[in-house]
Amino acid sequence: MIDTVYTHTKSMEVFERGLKVQPAGIPGHLGPVQSQFIPTSAFPLYAERAKDSYFWDLDGNRYIDYMCAYGPNVLGYNNDLVDNAAREQYEKGNCMPLPGRVQVELAELLCDTIKIADWAFFMKNGGDATGFARMIAQAATGRDKVVMVEGGYHGVAPWTQAVTHAGVTEDDVKNNLKVKWNDAAAFERLVNEYPGQIAAFISTPYDHRVFADNVLPADGYWQKIRRICDANGIVLIIDDVRCGFRLNLAGSAEYFGFEPDLACYCKALANGYNISSVVGRDSLKDAAAKVFYTGSYWSSAAPMAAAVACINELRRIDGARLMIEKGELLSSGLVTAAADAGLNLAISGVPSMFYMRLTNDDSLMMQQEFCAECARRGIFFVSHHNHFMNCSLTDDDIRQTIEIAAEAFRITARNNPDKVNK
Amino acid sequence: MPDSKVKARCNLFAVLRGIEYLLEHDADCKKLVEGTNLAIQFNVKDGPKGNLSIRDGKAHMKSGKHKSSMILYFTSPEHFNKMIDGKANPIPLKGLHRIGFLTGPFMKLADKLNYYLRPEGDLLSDTDYFRMNTELTAYTAFYALAEIGNHDRMGKMCSAAMPDGILQVRVEDGIGIFIEVEKGRLTCRKGTHGEPRAILSFKNLEVAHRVLNGKLDTFTGLGNGEMGMRGYIPMLDNMNPILDLVPVYLS
Repeated sequence: MIDTVYTHTKSMEVFERGLKVQPAGIPGHLGPVQSQFIPTSAFPLYAERAKDSYFWDLDGNRYIDYMCAYGPNVLGYNNDLVDNAAREQYEKGNCMPLPGRVQVELAELLCDTIKIADWAFFMKNGGDATGFARMIAQAATGRDKVVMVEGGYHGVAPWTQAVTHAGVTEDDVKNNLKVKWNDAAAFERLVNEYPGQIAAFISTPYDHRVFADNVLPADGYWQKIRRICDANGIVLIIDDVRCGFRLNLAGSAEYFGFEPDLACYCKALANGYNISSVVGRDSLKDAAAKVFYTGSYWSSAAPMAAAVACINELRRIDGARLMIEKGELLSSGLVTAAADAGLNLAISGVPSMFYMRLTNDDSLMMQQEFCAECARRGIFFVSHHNHFMNCSLTDDDIRQTIEIAAEAFRITARNNPDKVNK
Repeated sequence: MPDSKVKARCNLFAVLRGIEYLLEHDADCKKLVEGTNLAIQFNVKDGPKGNLSIRDGKAHMKSGKHKSSMILYFTSPEHFNKMIDGKANPIPLKGLHRIGFLTGPFMKLADKLNYYLRPEGDLLSDTDYFRMNTELTAYTAFYALAEIGNHDRMGKMCSAAMPDGILQVRVEDGIGIFIEVEKGRLTCRKGTHGEPRAILSFKNLEVAHRVLNGKLDTFTGLGNGEMGMRGYIPMLDNMNPILDLVPVYLS
C-alpha cells in the first residue's frame, strides 16, 4: 500500500496565471488537454527540475518519468557528459556568424553511425526535418504529391495536419495521398493512379500513432514499399524523429531490415538540446543543397556539441539495446501486476517505446484512471501516447514503478468491478 | 459561408425541435396547446422534411414524411430559413382549417423560443430563465451539431473521422445529451447513456452557459477543472471542429 498521494497546489497557481497570458494556459503538446491529463488535478503541470529518470514538480513531488520530454531524454536528464560538452561549446561560442567546426564533426559522426547516411543537414525540430525531407523529394523528382500513412504524425506544419484542424486549408493538404498502415498494395494502387506524380512515401518505421495499439511492420512490408519506390522513382522517407536511436543506432530502418533514401531525426539526437537532422543518400545530396532551408539558430554550435557527446555515449553503452531490455523488463512487470488485479494490459510497439492500454474497456477510461493513480503516486505515464525508456533507468526505478502501478491497477479494478476479469 | 440546405436542417431539427423542450418546461406553453392534437409536416423543396406532432401536451419532432394534419410547403431551403427569421410565410398545402393554430399558438411558441434563446435585458439574472436558456441552447446546439456533422461538407469530414460509439455531453447533476456515432453518421439524443465511450462534462449549468456563449474556452475550462473529459478522446477531438461550425449556422 502506497500512502503518499501527491497534490499540485503550486502547479495550479502558476497555471491560473498562465491561463491569463498564454493560449490554452500551456500551449502545445505539454498542455494538460493535449497531454490527456485526466483529470487535470491528478497531474503536475510544471516541472521545477529534472535529473536522470526523474523530474520534480513545483510542489516538490518526484516522478519516475516514462515520457522523457516526449523523447529527447535518452541518456537521463541533465546528463553530465552531454551538459559538459554543451557548456564547453557555449564558452567558446554558440550562435555565431559562421558555424562551428562541430557542425562537420557531428555530420561525420551521423554518417558513421546511421547506415544510410552519406550526408547530414541540421535544423531544430522534427517538423523542420520532415518538411525539408519533403522539399528534397519534390526538388529531386519534380513531382508534388506525397503518400502518407493514415494516422501518422510528421509534425505540425499545415501539410502534416488534417484538413479539419483549425488553421489548415484544403490547399495545404491537396498534394497528400493517404494509405493505411501495412498496406503496400494500396500504395501500389496509388502509384498506378498517379503515374509520375508522386515525389515521396513518408512514414514512421512502425505505426506508433496515439490512442491506439502500436503496430509493427508486417513481414516483407518495408521491402515491398522499397521495391515500389525504386520501380517508380519515388523517394522513401523515414520519419525517425520519435523512434530514432531507440530501436537501433544505425537507424530504425536497419532494425526492420530496409534502406530509406532520407531519414529524419530529432528527439534522441542531443539528450534535450535543440537540434534535428535529415540524413540521406548521396544521390539526394545535390537536391538537398539546392533547397533553400535555414533558420536563425540552426547552426548554433552548443546543441551540436551536445549531440556529438550524446551519440558517442549511446554508441559506447549500446543505448538502443539497453532501452529495449529495460522496456521488456518494465512491460512484463506491468502486465503481471495488471493481471494480479484482474485486468488485461496490452503492450504494443517496440519495448523501448512501448504503448500500453487496459483492454477491459474500449474507451480508455480505465487506462486514464490508472495513469491518474500512478501520477498521484509519482509515476509519470500518459494514457494516449507511447512511452519512452531512457538509459539512466535503474532496476530499482523499474521495481518501484511496478509496485506503484500494482497499487494503481488495484484501485482501477476496485472502481470498475463490472469490467474486471471474472 | 453556411450551406442553406444544412441551415434549413438546423432550423428544423434543432431550433424548431426546441418546442419539445418548451412544452416540457414552460407552463404557459403547455397551456397554449391544451387539447391540441395535430401533426405539422414541413416539406422543403430540395431540403429537409420533418414532422412536428403535438398531442397530450407534448411535442415530438421526427425526420421525414409522416402522417400529418397540416402540410407546410417551402419552395427552397432559403424560403424555410426566411420563415424561421420571421421574413416569409409557409405555403399551406393541407389542413387549411387549422391555420388558426399556425397563426395563433404556434406563433406564440415560436416567440417563446426566441425569448429563451435570445436573452434580453437582465433576464439571465432570473434563476429559472437562466436554466431554461442554457438547457435550450445546449439542446439546440448539439442537435444542430449532428445535422452539420451529417450534411455540411467540412462537418462530414470531421464526423467521418469520429470513431464509433456514444459521446456523452452532460452537466454534472444536470441535463445530458449524447451523440451516437456510427460509421461517421451522428444521431443526437437527450439523456444519459449507460455506456458512453467519451464524456465531455460541465461542472455546473453556469459553466455550460459560459462555454455555449463563448465566454469560456474549452482549453481553459478543461485545464482549470470547470470542465472534464474522459474516454476515447479522438471522438471529442473530431467533434470540436463541428461544434465550432454551430454558431455559423445558428447565428
